[in-house]
Amino acid sequence: MAVFDYVVARSIQEGLDLIADSSVATLLIGGGTDLLPLLKDGVIAAERLVGIDAIPGMDAITQADDGLTIGAAATIADVPDHPVIRSDYQVLAQAAIGLATPQIRTVGTIGGNLNQRPRCWYFRSPLIPCLKKGGDRCYALAGTTKYLCVTGGDRCFIVHPSDIGVALSVLDASVEIAGPAGARTLAIGDFFSGPGRDPTRENVLEPGEIVTKVLLPASPPDRSLYLKVRERESGDFALVSVAAALWLADSPGGPVVREARIALGGVAPVPYRAAEVERYLAGRTTPAIDAARAASLALPNPTPLPENGYKIPMARNMVQRAVAQLIG
Amino acid sequence: MTLSVVGESVVRRDLREKLTGEALYSADLKLPGMLYGGILRSPHPHADIEAVDATAAEALPGVRSVVTPFDVPPGKLGPDLAILDTRVRFVGDEVAALAADDPDTVRQALQLIRVDYQRLAHVPDPEQSLRPGTVAIHPGGNLATGDVLFLERGSVEAGFAEADLVLEDEFFIPTHSAAPLEPRAALAAWNESPDFDLTVWKTTRGVHVDRAALSAALGLSPERVRVIGPYLGGGYGNKDESRLAAIAAVLASRAGRPVRIEYSREDEFVAGRVRHAARIRLKAGLKSDGSITALHASAVLDTGAYLASGPGVARRTGQGILYLYHCPNVKYEARLVYTNRPVAGSYRALGAPQGHFALESLMDRAAERLGLDPLDFRLKNRVRPEGQPGRRTSPPGQVIDSQPVEGGIPFSSNGLEQCLELGAEAFGWREPLPASPEAHPALKRGKGMAMMLYRGGPGSPSSAEVRLEKSGAIKLVTGLMDVGEGATTVLPQIAAEVLGADSGQVEAVFADTYGTPDAPITAGSTATFSTGAAVVQAAEKVRRELMELASTGLEAPVDGLDAAAGEIFVKNDPSRRISFAELAGRMDAKALTATASVIPGSADAIVNSFGAHFAEVEVDTGTGRVRVVRYIAAHDSGRIINPRLALNQAEGAVSQMLGFALTEELVTDRATGVTLNPGYLEHKSPTIQDYPDLQIIFADVVDPVGPLGAKGLGEVPSVGVAPAIANAIYNAVGVRLNRLPFTPDRVLQALTEQRPENG
Repeated sequence: MAVFDYVVARSIQEGLDLIADSSVATLLIGGGTDLLPLLKDGVIAAERLVGIDAIPGMDAITQADDGLTIGAAATIADVPDHPVIRSDYQVLAQAAIGLATPQIRTVGTIGGNLNQRPRCWYFRSPLIPCLKKGGDRCYALAGTTKYLCVTGGDRCFIVHPSDIGVALSVLDASVEIAGPAGARTLAIGDFFSGPGRDPTRENVLEPGEIVTKVLLPASPPDRSLYLKVRERESGDFALVSVAAALWLADSPGGPVVREARIALGGVAPVPYRAAEVERYLAGRTTPAIDAARAASLALPNPTPLPENGYKIPMARNMVQRAVAQLIG
Repeated sequence: MTLSVVGESVVRRDLREKLTGEALYSADLKLPGMLYGGILRSPHPHADIEAVDATAAEALPGVRSVVTPFDVPPGKLGPDLAILDTRVRFVGDEVAALAADDPDTVRQALQLIRVDYQRLAHVPDPEQSLRPGTVAIHPGGNLATGDVLFLERGSVEAGFAEADLVLEDEFFIPTHSAAPLEPRAALAAWNESPDFDLTVWKTTRGVHVDRAALSAALGLSPERVRVIGPYLGGGYGNKDESRLAAIAAVLASRAGRPVRIEYSREDEFVAGRVRHAARIRLKAGLKSDGSITALHASAVLDTGAYLASGPGVARRTGQGILYLYHCPNVKYEARLVYTNRPVAGSYRALGAPQGHFALESLMDRAAERLGLDPLDFRLKNRVRPEGQPGRRTSPPGQVIDSQPVEGGIPFSSNGLEQCLELGAEAFGWREPLPASPEAHPALKRGKGMAMMLYRGGPGSPSSAEVRLEKSGAIKLVTGLMDVGEGATTVLPQIAAEVLGADSGQVEAVFADTYGTPDAPITAGSTATFSTGAAVVQAAEKVRRELMELASTGLEAPVDGLDAAAGEIFVKNDPSRRISFAELAGRMDAKALTATASVIPGSADAIVNSFGAHFAEVEVDTGTGRVRVVRYIAAHDSGRIINPRLALNQAEGAVSQMLGFALTEELVTDRATGVTLNPGYLEHKSPTIQDYPDLQIIFADVVDPVGPLGAKGLGEVPSVGVAPAIANAIYNAVGVRLNRLPFTPDRVLQALTEQRPENG
């Protein structure tokens, strides 16, 4: 373990001031479930950590007329414990429950979850100078590709590890960010960014900025769910996951899909929206939906690597299962 | 024979200490003035070290001693293993080490050591290793030991010539880690007492064997070295290296202070000892009546950077193939190959799980091709109590190896048929599977089975001392190490039974070279059988002497006496009795002591243990996920001395190998030689939620050779898990998996390729 200072910020402004000082290599820490192992293994380095989970109100989950606000320091375990999330945003509650282990869910935060680093073995090895760490190339490409992305890769082929991010992608969520120049709000789809833009980062958070909250609009889906495929029942990241949400209206021919949101985890460097599937579902009455047909539209132009082609049928099978379950 | 203590689930002796956290493990130990040691590991898979500059590290305040390959004592720890070497052979190999006042200084100082490496071409797998022109990892070449292991009974050419059906396939087993909760650790101190130059506490599977290795490497007389084994946190036969302790000893010597070094979690995965990756080609010849005419296996095993216990692993990989099925013609050849990968060594059942995976997978296909139920096929072809066909070649009177090749020798006991029948009965093999509660059409259930045979307990020569002290204390003294399986409970139980004492009355003195007779490693499922045989003999001697003493006091002939619960009494007048403690108090000597040494085994019979496993799995054809729903393991390990501990061993072995079958693989990157997933998260040991409903059954067998009828158990239930699950997957979804583990990607790919209509 490297030696570093630890400072607890008491306000967002104090946190911003602390990370604005570029003379000290500073990183933000929430629950630390990802950051501390990265530091310990020597994958990243810092001279100072600024704790932002003790900022008053930062861990609050509050409901208002314009929707639900989840503070960035709310823990993963807080999410499914919240009655409104449990009843109205089931996809998010299910994603949180299936994530990691009880110990990690109890300390890991929503903000930390969105900012966690990829699980790519090559990135995680301190001995391999991969592109994501500022090195010369992707070493995984010539090695173990089983866990890498099947779409959206560009010199770097990670998958984004966040279950929460995939669930938020079907809820039209947005992320509020505090920075030296004031606050800005980004749609969840604009928050994450693939390697084409900058292979060393997974989102657009700038140095000096802090994710302060996640906002969910006031119109929750009528039906939603989260399915996750992993290699063991607990303590495992998704091979493939699917978040699905439907907004329905009554019609003579049965419930009709007003809006559909389908997102996949484990297939791309960002939470992947299956736009073609959404288009197929939108406007159809549920009895007229063919789940297999919908699933066949997921991942239209995949670019699998030698060992990860299995993710394509797995993802489509999961989409089919999710759609069938939602319309069933 | 009426038994009073054996057969009882006596509570394991270390239970309270372990549950309350009082138990001290090697890394918990501290001595006054103790320093912390750390090891610099190689970032390169293969390189010559041209220079090591530790000046800056030595100059750091708090650094007390340093050792490099250029100033290390020249002794060797194994045929190919120096304490530190000027050549590194895998990423993670030890380069240099230092000791300092605290762990932070150690970490800081290690970063200040400068090493000049001359990189060499590296060898990522056995195939490349054996190719002509490949760089030699050791001077003798890349075929470890220099020879192909070659064993044959009968003539496979003749056997295949008379076969109606010949099947052949190739099976792949990856490297996986034993992943013990406790990483390796060693504490070395010089001149702790006038009696010893060097005292070492370490994670170990045999203190006497460690003492021999350390004294040889450091040029010390064995009597001047004392090795102590504290509680061990995850043994699995795996903690078999002494390099760590040797480095600690050198650092301690230079600093003039005790030094303790502990592996990190990553070190344990990378620089511990892994299971040998293997590629096994197996060919079987069968008659249309279902009998087997020939079996021919050819194995290539990856032993990694150093030999460790590789030859034993190569040998054991073949034993199931050579002996599990009645077959006059068998041939087994094995190539043990060096690579620039983590060192493979001993890990629960050595090569037997690899060999049985190939054998029991192919036999399942043979049964199917012949239209036979897998159970009937095995009942028909299982090796019989009289052993294999053929003629004994071992000279009369010679103790029979527990891994024979020759035929013509019976087993001391063989409960294989009973295991098959009991397991099948409990599983309901002959009835249709119960309906799955999950209605989803993508979930398919299936059943599979496998049988197994393994060494039954005869190991190296073993000794024990049983002592009744004047205070009345009874002590069982052996140099054995309890690696967590419970020898410190089971062996005193055997002694108590023979003596006629209470189970709790016999204390265990173990795991310290001081004051104990020489002892082998606790490995190969041998401790209960081999040391147990010595315990029986020593306890019998003490009992006889006590009877003599009691005979005078009780005024009754020895053959009119009996003993129970720590008292000797007159058989036809039990009111006339005297306790062991009273007898001890009357002794002139300080103690009544008897020792016994045995060469375990039999000159007339093979001592083997047997088992049959039955698995029910559920395969999700949409994801490739395999869930083991129900599992029955039936075993013949002779008489069960302590049912609770035996159950623990069997449940633990099956659970551990569930990871081998379904999820675990330690992956080394081909291009860089870096081990990519050295941790619990990514090595993917199963969690409690992944475990099936597991039932263990012990066959009613009393072995005529084993102590009180016992045979070996610890490793045996790990042997057949992978093929039982593979065969169940086939039964569920119709795909054959030749490559472990059966992860969702592999299952889904197999479904797509072999059964597209299923996927």
